[in-house]
Amino acid sequence: MRALVIDDSRTMRRIVSSTLERIGFETIEAGHGREALDHLEAGERVDLACIDWNMPVMDGLTFVTEVRANPAWRDVTLMMVTTESEQGQIVRALAAGAHEYLIKPFTADAVRDKLDLLGLIPAEELA
Amino acid sequence: MTTTTVVHDQVHAIAQEVFAAMVDGDLGLLLPWEGELPALDDALVAWVDLFGEWSGRAVLLTATDTAQELTRALLGLPDGEPVERADLDDAFGEIANVVGGNLKALLPHPGTLGLPQIGSDLPPLEGAVRALHLPLSWRGRLFVVDVWVTTAGTTTEGAS
Repeated sequence: MRALVIDDSRTMRRIVSSTLERIGFETIEAGHGREALDHLEAGERVDLACIDWNMPVMDGLTFVTEVRANPAWRDVTLMMVTTESEQGQIVRALAAGAHEYLIKPFTADAVRDKLDLLGLIPAEELA
Repeated sequence: MTTTTVVHDQVHAIAQEVFAAMVDGDLGLLLPWEGELPALDDALVAWVDLFGEWSGRAVLLTATDTAQELTRALLGLPDGEPVERADLDDAFGEIANVVGGNLKALLPHPGTLGLPQIGSDLPPLEGAVRALHLPLSWRGRLFVVDVWVTTAGTTTEGAS
């Protein structure tokens, strides 16, 4: 499994990446939505994208909309990881095509629970 | 602009939750500060602005060496390991971002959140008053959460 971690904070990217790596993911990182799209357009295979909402250059909601508009990326699972916790924002993200929503601050167990819901726990982790 | 009551207990709970999830793994390590506040000779300030019907600023203030300790905890670095300035700014700013984002969720009419900023001094926010001043103790070190509100209405400090 391969994950793309998108956050303008490199601290948060490290936290999310190390959490995913402990679960068994390989990770790549991007500092904003445009940089993340560059990875996808370059043909990088990604099973999961963890996406912050508020970022410079391109925000997370725009990234979700762009990914969902391209059929070539329909298999990428999109999970918002953000401080935006109001119900209206969650609905907006899910309506745009996000599959799950994780609110900061989060624990490693919360990440694992969300991935379990999405069926994205690597098989070797389940064994 | 609406009348706003910023509640100490809710903001303290947010800060505790942020530290428990991101830093300590324990809700009980960020406590109310007891006694007189020491002077912070080498302060570091992180803040995020909130925009909308309720506008204001969430501010974190601590000593630079405390912010370095927080950064080491966030990044899983060993005690005493040098912290690069970019990592320090980014980590402390991200804590402010998460605190500010969760504070925004408490508001009756949430707006938008600015990007986190860092400095040695807090720049003025025009028309703002400090609505909450919450000195806390993290591992015995002073860590302050302030909330500033820009409002034409009444602001109540610290009802809890």
